[in-house]
Amino acid sequence: MSGQGAAAPPRLESAAAATAFQKEWFLSLADRAREGEPIALANADAPHELLRALGIPYVVNQWWSSIISAKRAAPASLAAVAAQGLPDDSRQYDVLPLGAQELAAELAPWGGLPEPRFAISERSGDVTHKIFERWGRRPGTETFLLSRTAAVPAPAGWWDRVAHDWEDVFGAARIDLLEGEIRALAATLEQRVRRTLDLGELAGIMALANEQAEWNRRTRDLLASARPLPVAVTDIIPAVMVPQWHRGTPWAVAAARRLHDEVARRIDDGHAVCRGERRRLMWIGRGLWSDLEMYRSFQDEFGAVFVWSMYLAIAADGYARYGDDPVRTLAARFVGLTDLLYVPPMSSSWYVKEALAHGVDGVVHLVADDTPAPGVITAALEQRGIPVLEIRASNADPRATGDVRERIAGFVRERVPAAR
Amino acid sequence: MTTSAPVIGVVGNDVPRQLLLALGARPHRLTGSWTGAIDPDAAQLLGATDAVVARLLTELRSDAQPLDALIVCNDSQAHLRLFYVLRATASTVPVHLLDMPRDASEPARRFARFQLEALAAFCAAVTGRRLDAASLAAAADAEAAVGDALRRLRARRRADPPLCAGADALDAMLDAARLAPSEAVARLDAARAPVSPGAMRVHVTGSSHPDAAFYRELESEGRCVIVSEDHDTGEAAWLGEAVRGETTEHVLEGLSDAHFARVTTSATTSGSVRAAFTGDIAREAGADAVAAIIRELDEAPLWDLTDQRDVLEGIPFISGRVTPGEEIDAARDLVRELVDAAVSA
Repeated sequence: MSGQGAAAPPRLESAAAATAFQKEWFLSLADRAREGEPIALANADAPHELLRALGIPYVVNQWWSSIISAKRAAPASLAAVAAQGLPDDSRQYDVLPLGAQELAAELAPWGGLPEPRFAISERSGDVTHKIFERWGRRPGTETFLLSRTAAVPAPAGWWDRVAHDWEDVFGAARIDLLEGEIRALAATLEQRVRRTLDLGELAGIMALANEQAEWNRRTRDLLASARPLPVAVTDIIPAVMVPQWHRGTPWAVAAARRLHDEVARRIDDGHAVCRGERRRLMWIGRGLWSDLEMYRSFQDEFGAVFVWSMYLAIAADGYARYGDDPVRTLAARFVGLTDLLYVPPMSSSWYVKEALAHGVDGVVHLVADDTPAPGVITAALEQRGIPVLEIRASNADPRATGDVRERIAGFVRERVPAAR
Repeated sequence: MTTSAPVIGVVGNDVPRQLLLALGARPHRLTGSWTGAIDPDAAQLLGATDAVVARLLTELRSDAQPLDALIVCNDSQAHLRLFYVLRATASTVPVHLLDMPRDASEPARRFARFQLEALAAFCAAVTGRRLDAASLAAAADAEAAVGDALRRLRARRRADPPLCAGADALDAMLDAARLAPSEAVARLDAARAPVSPGAMRVHVTGSSHPDAAFYRELESEGRCVIVSEDHDTGEAAWLGEAVRGETTEHVLEGLSDAHFARVTTSATTSGSVRAAFTGDIAREAGADAVAAIIRELDEAPLWDLTDQRDVLEGIPFISGRVTPGEEIDAARDLVRELVDAAVSA
């Protein structure tokens, strides 16, 4: 047992293993890219499985942003963005990698990202397409944009249906559009790298991704019912997200299973992140990568632990898609993935479901500028008697998050009574 | 067309008015305003959103506009948020989202057709009418007349000296987007106003202008006259577009083609295309200077500035960010900077 007044609990082996794997993988990929192998920079909601099936290694824009933030290279990267005449206070999370390309190798995390051959993104928001337009102007990089349709329909209670009934959940017309664009992208990439997309290979990748999602669902269910919290959320995030970016590989499936088994073992052993757990908190929004210690910092004074982040939960509920046609099924995975997180009533009903399942006493809702209708999510939770603190800031901009700890402490003190 | 037709509110700039007119509705564009109260609930529901759209939601929640239905375009995140909030909070009028794609690929064209058909079905349910070739032809004639009047207004603005100030022109264009076509033609043709001799000819880019208050302030001392703009409540409004075809299908196809052919808002268009658009119009209008006016939280135009500066080489280019409550000061600063830049040039 560990927790209040004790040393920090040992790190989850799954998290340490995933983090070590990722660094080794990145350095190897960077070496290969510098020797001429084409790599892609892909946004988180781009159809990664297509790249994997075509044998094109890819780096996920938001993951690379998180590394840049965690390595304290965000301010220099944003300064590089501003030096190009671009705003440094808009879509920071998406633009950090573009700025980091201007950093000297010794200042860039892990020696920097080699110039990608392809930059691939969906047109989310007002600006992502303009950021990727900039990538496409860099020597040797070609940009591809996919449509991003709006969430119509947007059914509440989607989580029990989306894996199989995705045609109804998202609407066939939206899937038709993205499927058509993925097929066109595949044809272009085939030409560029002189390889042929093997649909059987893609189907296998999709099957592995589903297997991974099923393990994540079991892990999430374990954590939802465990009292007290057996594993720190800061361990869960890398243990889920690193495999997420390797989705569709045997390694990722094994990593998801390893996480599940380790969590189960900790529960069986009666492990507690905070021995005096009295308040269970939910973190809605992107991770605060520049201050991960923040998540632990309310344990001693308040017995408050963050028991939930979206990363495991969406990995559990949002990714599985079963279907006969791998390209259409891939389109169904991404056509509305972000809507599940952000668009009410899909988002609001899901957060309420997760908050109730995890026995949450209070919610910290980090609202970035690009979060649509956050007030609806907050209202849905408050209506169920769950107090919410909204913090409006970009997770990637340390200038905007300097007082987060104080605000959360005040919120917990004033609005989140000890439940235990 | 009469003004007693069902009124369908339109938020955004993707709606082909001809379709609504053919179905017996009167499109009424809603743009919000530069100033005015924002309901705290509206602000809370929307999150970090352009104040103009927060005012628009305030207006819609108060039912100040007598509408029979509302169409919201997915042409910016702010508008999309507005739709999501209206849907989640049970709007008092039927609301429909028009979600037009941006790249003219074959799958996108099919999706655009699907969207236009869904739009027509929504409007038909409001008006009780059905689309047919005859009603589409009549609507095309009516809307084409609006297009002709817009061209006449544009010519008056381009004259040297201009025969219509920018604020009056913008007022007329905003009104035209809310009137029946015959009334819109009259309103546009009536837009004539004296302009101070020697005023600097200014092209405006950046955020759209919900009303003419900012233009009026820019032109108030007679040192500037706005001769053109590329934002979507002014000359880039999708107004006066008419497509003719033998069948309903031909017209829908033509409207889809017209959608993909135009340059849309900053939020939906690449920086290079927007910059070229700005440069073409500013030069065609004989602008002495270009002013980019960008509201806080309307982030897309910020990303166009570098490209615009490159394209406009040789023409003074001033940009200003406007925070809510500081519109007047921002306009005055902008005039000062424009005059200084022109003198330097």
